[in-house]
Amino acid sequence: MSAIRPVLLFVIVEILFQGCAFNRGTLGEDLKPEAIEAIKKGTTTRSEVLALLGAPDRMLQLNGRDVFQYYRYDGKAGSLLLIIVNFSRVSIKSDDVFVVLNREGVVEDVISSRRTEGMEFRFWPFGD
Amino acid sequence: MRSGIRSALSGALLLALTVLPACNVVRITLNKPLSPEHVSFIVPGQTTFSEVVASLGAPDALTESASGFVATYRFLDLKYSRVNFGWLLRPWSPVDPDLVISRTGLGTEALQVVYNADGIVTQHGFLRHLSGPRFNPYPF
Repeated sequence: MSAIRPVLLFVIVEILFQGCAFNRGTLGEDLKPEAIEAIKKGTTTRSEVLALLGAPDRMLQLNGRDVFQYYRYDGKAGSLLLIIVNFSRVSIKSDDVFVVLNREGVVEDVISSRRTEGMEFRFWPFGD
Repeated sequence: MRSGIRSALSGALLLALTVLPACNVVRITLNKPLSPEHVSFIVPGQTTFSEVVASLGAPDALTESASGFVATYRFLDLKYSRVNFGWLLRPWSPVDPDLVISRTGLGTEALQVVYNADGIVTQHGFLRHLSGPRFNPYPF
């Protein structure tokens, strides 16, 4: 009987825990921290920003100043596929960089955040 | 002995198939959902743009306004649950019958922070105040 118990447990686990899945999707290129750090307020020019980060994903005007916006999205999906119940959790976060240029075409401000850092695959859909 | 275990296993499986219907629970989040507690540090007339960015990160969008600019933080919390009661008939049916009820709750929100030309917060607020969606497959 003692030899049968582990086999029985294995069979039950196999029946209940059918499988799991990991999926990942990204939009845009990774915004390299060293490229962002190389942009200095008051000295870096528009053309240098373009050389460092490439053409912006979006360009907007803010109180007469040009703003370059760069973004990247990262999505991670984890699924726990059981026979009687499936749990899935999809987490999507974005990295954003805004480069504010003054009228002379020199960087006035750089605003960036990396929300995707430390984002993990999760299965459990409840809670935070 | 073996037949006893086989019977127990078959019974457990049948019980699982009949008593517990097939369920799906899915959640999709875009960025970290913000609550009023997360933005309680913002004091109109005092808090600066850099202080908000330091706490909440870069916004998703910046737009010009007549008196300055507006920073928008978007986030989404989608909850989907589904139950297939067709599973109840599977042990006895030659086909896979489906009797599905499901419900999706989409909680879209945005936080808008309005700044003056000097980058000081003049007002802020959530675009919509939805009570967060719940996992509830009952659609009626």
